[in-house]
Amino acid sequence: MKFLCVPCDAPMKLAEVAPPDRGSLSVRYACPECGYEMAMLTNPFETQMVQSLGVRIGLDASTAGAPAAADEKKDGGKCPFAGMIPGLTEAARDGAGDADAPVAWTPQATARLESIPSFVRPMARTGIEKFARERGYPTVDEKVLDEARDFFGM
Amino acid sequence: MRSAMKGYHDITGDGGSNVLQQVIDLEGRIAANLAGVRHLVAVGSGKGGVGKSTLTFHLAALCREAGWDVALLDADLNGPSQARMAGVAGTAPLPSDGGRLALPRARAGFGVFSTGSLVPEAEAVEFDSVSHGASHTWRATREFTLLSEILERAEWGRLDALFVDLPPGAERVVQFAELLGPRASFVLISIPSDVARGVVARSAAALKRAGRRIAGRIENMQGYACSGCGEVRPLFRTTEGSAAGAAPALDLPLLGSVPFDPELARRCDLGIPVTERPDLPSTAALKETARALMRAFEAER
Repeated sequence: MKFLCVPCDAPMKLAEVAPPDRGSLSVRYACPECGYEMAMLTNPFETQMVQSLGVRIGLDASTAGAPAAADEKKDGGKCPFAGMIPGLTEAARDGAGDADAPVAWTPQATARLESIPSFVRPMARTGIEKFARERGYPTVDEKVLDEARDFFGM
Repeated sequence: MRSAMKGYHDITGDGGSNVLQQVIDLEGRIAANLAGVRHLVAVGSGKGGVGKSTLTFHLAALCREAGWDVALLDADLNGPSQARMAGVAGTAPLPSDGGRLALPRARAGFGVFSTGSLVPEAEAVEFDSVSHGASHTWRATREFTLLSEILERAEWGRLDALFVDLPPGAERVVQFAELLGPRASFVLISIPSDVARGVVARSAAALKRAGRRIAGRIENMQGYACSGCGEVRPLFRTTEGSAAGAAPALDLPLLGSVPFDPELARRCDLGIPVTERPDLPSTAALKETARALMRAFEAER
């Protein structure tokens, strides 16, 4: 979808994406010539369709590389669309995971986990933490990830 | 509205997100990740319940036994069966370097991706959504996106063949053909019933119309392998004289015929490959079929 400023006949540029609100995205566009601004407000159906494509919406989206993460937590609640917006996943990272889990994760191991498809992530996390717990490892780091991989013959 | 106003195709990009480019980039990353795979073997039918998954798993195991490096993608996300057959139910893929996925290995020694590794059999496969009650509009898109992610991220490495076990649905074979790209070649599974052959004929027609390659077909349940006497007896009766008439002839190379074998079914439930029971009539038939499949795909190159 593209937006055109009719008086200027100029393509409008994406200016800002607001955090998801009850399944709706607010995307602000501005005309680079006259400065006129408009906002596209999606309904949950439209948000879901875009999310299903695995793409990101935002200024640095095209350089984001990886498909959207879909199960990050934000403001304490589960928001399946935070991953659509670059930056939100990083902001939400502190809240990710199970706070009661006795196994900690190093930032490097967390980054490796976050980089795999979101659908796979919960089970991968559970499997690795079980592996670590069984061996008395208090922390999952990259060595533990590699050890688990070797153990499972992957 | 001005008549000289710019149209969609006059504007480069979409003003920020470049959504279309993101989709194109993903296709490029999938192609790069599959560069080391010599053959993309898409096993489908269109018809459900004809033994696609069973044959896919055991053919992969027998091709590996015959010297091919293989892996298996269970593309039936909603009714996955490969995790159980491969003995990897509950063993999730693990994060590797660079966002890649290390795959659990079947007892037969090859990597398998199946949602059955991720979601227990007693649970439905669900995706997060805020569009409640409208999953019929977006779910297929979400599923193909997930399959794209798996194709892009799994550590396939250098393979002689990546077997893709397709879900039922005659129209879906073309959707999978488009997902897998022109390198994929199809193997269609039928059984000796006009109902099944009719659906397989429809799938073959859809693939041919889309210009996709079909390496051949395999006739499953061609007789019943009696575990008592060891003989193979007829399982389906002929339907000559039926009001609907005979199903259209399947004008495809026959790669092999495999009898229905309760022991083969039991081994699928237990996650034990048929390679460990070379004495079974079904094993011999599957071995012959695997050899024919390997020849057919080598001849395509």
